[in-house]
Amino acid sequence: MKKSTTPIGMLLQVVVNIVVLLFTLSALFPIVWMVYTSVKSNPDFSLNTISLPTSPTLENYANAFEIGNIGSAIFSSLLNTVIPVPIIILFSFIIGYFFSRIEFRGKKLLMVLFLAGMMIPIHALLVPLFVQFKWFGMLDNRFTLILPYIAFHLPVAIFLFDSFIKGISREIEEAAYIDGSSFDNTMFRVIFPICLPIMSTVAILSILGTWNEFSFALVLNKSSDLFTLPIWLTFFSGQHTTDYTGKIAGLVITSLPIIVMYLFFSNKIMSGMTAGAVKG
Amino acid sequence: MNNSRLFKLQAGPLLRYLVPILLIYSFTVLVPLVLSFYYSLQNESVTQFVGLQNYMALVKDSDFWFSFKNNIIIAVICVIGQIGIAFVISSFFMTNMLRMASLHRIAIFLPVVLAPVVTGYLWSMIYNYRLGILNWFLNLFNMEPVLWLDNPDYVLYTVSVPLVWQYIGLYFIIFLAGMQNISKDVLEACEIDGANWYKKTVFVIFPLLRNVMTVALTLCITGTLKVFDHIYVMTGGGPGRSSMVMAQYAYNNAFTMSRLGYGSAISIGMLILCAIIVLVMFKWIGGEERG
Repeated sequence: MKKSTTPIGMLLQVVVNIVVLLFTLSALFPIVWMVYTSVKSNPDFSLNTISLPTSPTLENYANAFEIGNIGSAIFSSLLNTVIPVPIIILFSFIIGYFFSRIEFRGKKLLMVLFLAGMMIPIHALLVPLFVQFKWFGMLDNRFTLILPYIAFHLPVAIFLFDSFIKGISREIEEAAYIDGSSFDNTMFRVIFPICLPIMSTVAILSILGTWNEFSFALVLNKSSDLFTLPIWLTFFSGQHTTDYTGKIAGLVITSLPIIVMYLFFSNKIMSGMTAGAVKG
Repeated sequence: MNNSRLFKLQAGPLLRYLVPILLIYSFTVLVPLVLSFYYSLQNESVTQFVGLQNYMALVKDSDFWFSFKNNIIIAVICVIGQIGIAFVISSFFMTNMLRMASLHRIAIFLPVVLAPVVTGYLWSMIYNYRLGILNWFLNLFNMEPVLWLDNPDYVLYTVSVPLVWQYIGLYFIIFLAGMQNISKDVLEACEIDGANWYKKTVFVIFPLLRNVMTVALTLCITGTLKVFDHIYVMTGGGPGRSSMVMAQYAYNNAFTMSRLGYGSAISIGMLILCAIIVLVMFKWIGGEERG
């Protein structure tokens, strides 16, 4: 750290630290407020919005499970994350491998098609996907959201794998082939394990995306036992408009797994979300 | 074995891997895109071909253009709020004066990972008339409470604040990574030449970040043109239509009013407008580079 000796330098240092500290606090405060308000009772909350809980209670959480049936929403959210994410990793690895290693006709076109999935505003697909799924009788099903969640996360994941595999030396595969390794064996047993770092990035980004997804879950599933957490939130706050602390407990339940994951993998998440941007 | 054969596509892997994945992707992304266009040429209940009638109606639809205008206003606020503030903070990080920089970094990025729905509800609680944090502060200074989300005059600005709050961290990290990529020699050279923080940031760092800035602008503008979750949760486009955005308008038409054909036309219109804006932006930035 550079030591400033002049008075102006020291003043500048104080100002910089205070400004950044204010930003940090403004980013953190609403989240911290949310967490401690979730253990306040409604009367306590009405008395003072901002004070710390005088007698912390888990009543809001108990209500969310007993009255709000949030357990089923947690299950749906978990299911819609646990099934798509490994498939996203597998598929995007395969396509990424083909893009970075194999020469074939139509590769450019294929890349453009996947790139298109990254560029189009995904909401443009909301109406047509609804109609298409309705036509195939695929609405309102446990597994309705799995396919869209896989497809929507493929493009970014593919390009992450593609650029990662490009950095792996081709000699590894050549050596494997000379040793008699088949195509499949080379791809899955030799290259796949090397991709572990980018695999975890793809996994984390996909988990964030599927867990937080709102609009397709809203449109494609209408029965309450299939609600994921974000939809459950809108449903609950529509039903219990004045149960503020109950709603806030729901917000905490929805965000806590994500926040915990973030605290463990913050660097991975930051580099993953900005990788494309900085290279581009 | 020669390389060209080694990395050539064989029929087996093609059928085993490429085709199934492509089918799934086409079924959920490409087919709907084509379908969307097809539906936009149909009447309300999708029973009759009506040609470009939906598009004619869309061009004349003042509600659609009103929501487009709202999208643009939100985009401007977000470009200034997210990119502007993020750039200033990240340049603070380059001064080496900051203590606990890594803690600040983690905290400022945290809101980015929250679900948009959570951000929306969290802020509608902050804005709450009777029990919100903001009115609590106003009360502290003996000021009248404000109807933050129910006043058509400024609802557009109040719904933009949570967007700015949530995504500042993203652009902050993008800029920080970009700035750390700038060669140390350049920065040292201008320090030796006696440039202060302001001069270093404006005349050295900013021009070197042109590419990163372009990407950030594209992300920010396309992101705000399709904003939906936050608005749906906080106001649903209201009061009246004062905070209506294109995605919400498409949703209302297709799902609240069951006008699937027109809803599709709005979606396609949205796609075209986004594409035009991005193209114009690239052209503008590219032109400046030459000039």
